[in-house]
Amino acid sequence: MPGRPPRMIAAEGIVLRRRPSGEADALLVLLTPGEGRIDAVARGVRKPQAKLRGHVEPVTRSRFLLARGRGLDVVAQAETLDAHLRLKADLEALAAAIYCCELAERLSTAHAPQPELYELLVDALAALDAGASPAAVARYFELHLLAVSGYELQVAACVSCGADLPEAEAFFAAAAGGILCAGCRAEVPGRLLSVRAQKVLRFARRSSVAEFAALRMPPETAAEVRAALADALRAVLDAEPRSSTFFETLTRP
Amino acid sequence: MPESLATPEPIQRLIEALHRLPGIGPKSAQRLAYHIVRTSPQEAEALARAVTEARERIRYCSVCVNLTERDPCAVCSDPRRDAGTICVVEQPLDVLAVERAGIYRGRYHVLHGILNPMEGIGPEHLHIDALVARVSTGEVREVIMATNPSLEGEATVMYVQRVLAPHGVRVTRLARGLPSGADLEYADTMTLARALEGRQEL
Ligand SMILES: [Zn+2]
Ligand SMILES: [Zn+2]
Repeated sequence: MPGRPPRMIAAEGIVLRRRPSGEADALLVLLTPGEGRIDAVARGVRKPQAKLRGHVEPVTRSRFLLARGRGLDVVAQAETLDAHLRLKADLEALAAAIYCCELAERLSTAHAPQPELYELLVDALAALDAGASPAAVARYFELHLLAVSGYELQVAACVSCGADLPEAEAFFAAAAGGILCAGCRAEVPGRLLSVRAQKVLRFARRSSVAEFAALRMPPETAAEVRAALADALRAVLDAEPRSSTFFETLTRP
Repeated sequence: MPESLATPEPIQRLIEALHRLPGIGPKSAQRLAYHIVRTSPQEAEALARAVTEARERIRYCSVCVNLTERDPCAVCSDPRRDAGTICVVEQPLDVLAVERAGIYRGRYHVLHGILNPMEGIGPEHLHIDALVARVSTGEVREVIMATNPSLEGEATVMYVQRVLAPHGVRVTRLARGLPSGADLEYADTMTLARALEGRQEL
């Protein structure tokens, strides 16, 4: 078959997902800073002797050399940069990492640079690997993921009229994109957020992931924050994340 | 496309049925279908009968969930097999692999899958409750996790370990390390770390 030889592309990336394909191949979904989401095939990696095998595990950050022809990119080489071994040895942390990777896949764009999203995922995985609270990292990731994907939540002022919010319970409407003041609050679905939950969300937005994970909060506040972010994600995703049930059953008291 | 050039409908249906089998791509499905329709009617009939009979006569063992013709299966009903040891595998074929090694004298438990939250496969999709029930009888001393060395395999090991913890049973897993013939230079971090953990006195 005539055709140009494939172009070789070097990229750092995180393996978001790996699915078996054919006898011994795997289809990978990668997130890269410069090219966003890339689907690639790793040939023969399901054979026990395959050199590439461990370098293309989900949640692993690797340096890739991809051969780009007419079809799917083919992984020519891969070398682990960070295997996140501590995270992978802890069930909750691993479940959180898988959940973050799934969300990243769902909200990423193929072949478009997304350095902020990439950095966010790198930071979240690093925090999980360092032993940060999996639930806290997941909340932080959800909030910042919405922001870098163009769905910034407005929790510091009324999302509709911009009015300052009094220090009181407020009405959070996911579909509107944040908190509605008493004047703007219409007949839209939403939930009440305590002052504490509002403060937690504001703090999460301006802190680092490590700072946020170190924050201690009562379980009822954590539950409010979790529910608000779940509403917000549901408003932008067409379907429930597949990995959320497993993660939630592990981390819910 | 004129009727004479299109794939005849019965062949097309056969191709589609074969294509749904694991590891069979569209090209292989086509090749197999055309092979089948060119065999003798007796041979095709025998194939169809083998499929139907296998499906009719094979069931899950009510103890270990392996596929069997008799329930309980041959391993579970063999008094010479140690009921105090259970080797947990992903698939029925893995039982055959362990049996081929020829040194295991305990019993099995087949999960029929592996934890894969990314694809929405949670513990409720695997036969983990049945394993817990077997262990809770108190007869079991050791559960050997023999899932494949992958992220999903590790997650399954950790999860099973957790649900079995209250029962005070010893949970072990197969030694991990470099497959023979592997090149140290190309080994990934995980494999090397596991190989170091599982190192042996010389
Ligand atoms: Zn307003
Ligand atoms: Zn059995």
